[in-house]
Amino acid sequence: MPSKKVIETKQISRVFKTGDIEVYALNEVNMVIEEGAFVAIMGASGSGKSTLLNILGCLDKSTSGDYYLDNVHVNKLNKNELADIRNQKIGFIFQSYNLLSRTSAIENVALPLVYDRSGRFSNPQKMAMDALEQVGLLHRIHHKTNELSGGEQQRVAIARALVNDPALILSDEATGNLDSRASIEVADLFVKLNNEGKTIVMITHEPEIAQFAKRMIYLRDGRILTDELIKNRRTKESALKELELTA
Amino acid sequence: MNQLFKTFKVAFQAINKNRTRSLLTVLGIIIGVGAVIMTISAGEGATKQIQDQISGLGTNLLMIATKTEHRAGINVRMGRPIDKKDFDMLQKNGVWISKLSPLVVNGAQVIGPDGYKSTTVYGVSHEYFEILSRGISLGDVFSEEDVKTAKKVCVIGETIRKELFSGIDPIGRKIRIDKIPFTVVGLLKEEGKGAMGQDQDEILIAPFTTIQNRLYGHRRGYNMILGSALSEDHIVDAEIEATELLRESHRILEGEEDDFEITTQIELQEITGNVTGILTILLGAIASISLIVGGIGIMNIMLVSVTERTREIGTRLAIGARESDILTQFLIEAIVLSLAGGFLGVLLGVIGNHIIYKLTNFYIPTAGYSILIGFGFAALVGIAFGYFPARKAAKLNPIDALRYE
Repeated sequence: MPSKKVIETKQISRVFKTGDIEVYALNEVNMVIEEGAFVAIMGASGSGKSTLLNILGCLDKSTSGDYYLDNVHVNKLNKNELADIRNQKIGFIFQSYNLLSRTSAIENVALPLVYDRSGRFSNPQKMAMDALEQVGLLHRIHHKTNELSGGEQQRVAIARALVNDPALILSDEATGNLDSRASIEVADLFVKLNNEGKTIVMITHEPEIAQFAKRMIYLRDGRILTDELIKNRRTKESALKELELTA
Repeated sequence: MNQLFKTFKVAFQAINKNRTRSLLTVLGIIIGVGAVIMTISAGEGATKQIQDQISGLGTNLLMIATKTEHRAGINVRMGRPIDKKDFDMLQKNGVWISKLSPLVVNGAQVIGPDGYKSTTVYGVSHEYFEILSRGISLGDVFSEEDVKTAKKVCVIGETIRKELFSGIDPIGRKIRIDKIPFTVVGLLKEEGKGAMGQDQDEILIAPFTTIQNRLYGHRRGYNMILGSALSEDHIVDAEIEATELLRESHRILEGEEDDFEITTQIELQEITGNVTGILTILLGAIASISLIVGGIGIMNIMLVSVTERTREIGTRLAIGARESDILTQFLIEAIVLSLAGGFLGVLLGVIGNHIIYKLTNFYIPTAGYSILIGFGFAALVGIAFGYFPARKAAKLNPIDALRYE
């Protein structure tokens, strides 16, 4: 029995118009990502990876083609429905964390639950605690954003992405602002979450980080150039060892 | 409903988390509202005080004086002086004129037991006090008998009392006016500063007969005759009557100009009207300026605070907030801050008015409508400029809001 499709895109294109010139940021991209996948999307800047992530994250709509997220036809949704689907099915992780300043870790993590209209969660406080436990930050729950290191802030952001039990975790250069060691920690956290069954799609331009994933999609000029499974996945141990050797 | 409750919580948390920004916003509104209330009230207070003082002169007052013309930089008397003959004639024949008093003015050196002062002595009849409705706080006014017999008595104002006496009660004590001893029989009620800023308590009043006969024997005419019409409604009748009687007794032929001038409260009231009109325009200008200044202050802080939070709005949108959630949150924040600031601003305005009163003795009643205008305007500006930039931000594509620097 084939596993459940979390993402399915059919011929999606995204066209930006500047004056008379039409730029295809994405050009008829087809992809299927199944439940439990861990996909790294790579490509040079301008290859369309951010555009793709915005569309997959329901922040933007494709100009043409169809996108199904967890069997929901996203193209047909209006603004409010898009907001709700982001709230229920997607967990975002950003390069610059985007935490609320002067706000404690637990309040930041509980933020998506404020906008939950499904009433799935009866105890936001406990949900947030569980999410923080998953990222190993139970000892930091009442620390304010500015009292945490970059790596810790990103882990708070990851806990925030987990708290609503999303079908898909989307990471946009999550390690872009972190040093090598913190980057490895975050990548290793993704591996752990993936092992627990989370579906993860991460955009990165760092091959070392991409090597932690199970599958790599390489974009060029808005099209998929390669899409293959990664044979020798990196682990935290091997990465740390390499780090010591090069140091 | 549940969502609205959650949004309320979010809004209050946001206010609390950004205490400095919230305080600055509230402060901006407080200053705006306070300034509007205080300027409007000060203008209102000044207008009212001027009106009161002009009407306090006696609403049916007539002032009859020799005509003067302004020549070569000084006022030159153009006719024969107003004198006892005119006074007696008016007293005898006047129907619409009920009370009359001559006014003889002279500079004098006054010496009391505890000090001295150079001031002006006003010689008047006993009816002067009723004509100008000046009350007595201690002792009594001098009588008709005192005037007839040219008794050396006087009534003094509070400023004179302070200069001449160290004690509170000057009644029955002697002072010297240009070396002649006078007995103080009455102390006038304190009136404070007049409409033109003159001290209405620096006043020394004695019977005009005494002044003319015992102090300055050579003086014949009066500076002025003060009179009051039978009632306010008959002030014009009284003026016409006095004009006719005086023309007749001065033997002025038809076609010739009067050699005297009669000033009535009607003219004063016209001046009051003009002054009040000017003050109202001034007041409007001041209030508009303080509204604009206050409004711009509030607008700025609101615009800055919302712009600064565009990324926060982007984050909230990305994790699933609807446009309406963001709008509601910012609207609640703006309302709460505007109302808090407005309320404290009203407090500041009222207390500020009171402090000014304590410091300067200039009584400013807080005008009720100034509270409405100040509060209403601040709330409107605060809410509008909290709401519209937030609306713009909430309508942004979440991606653009997230990238906003």
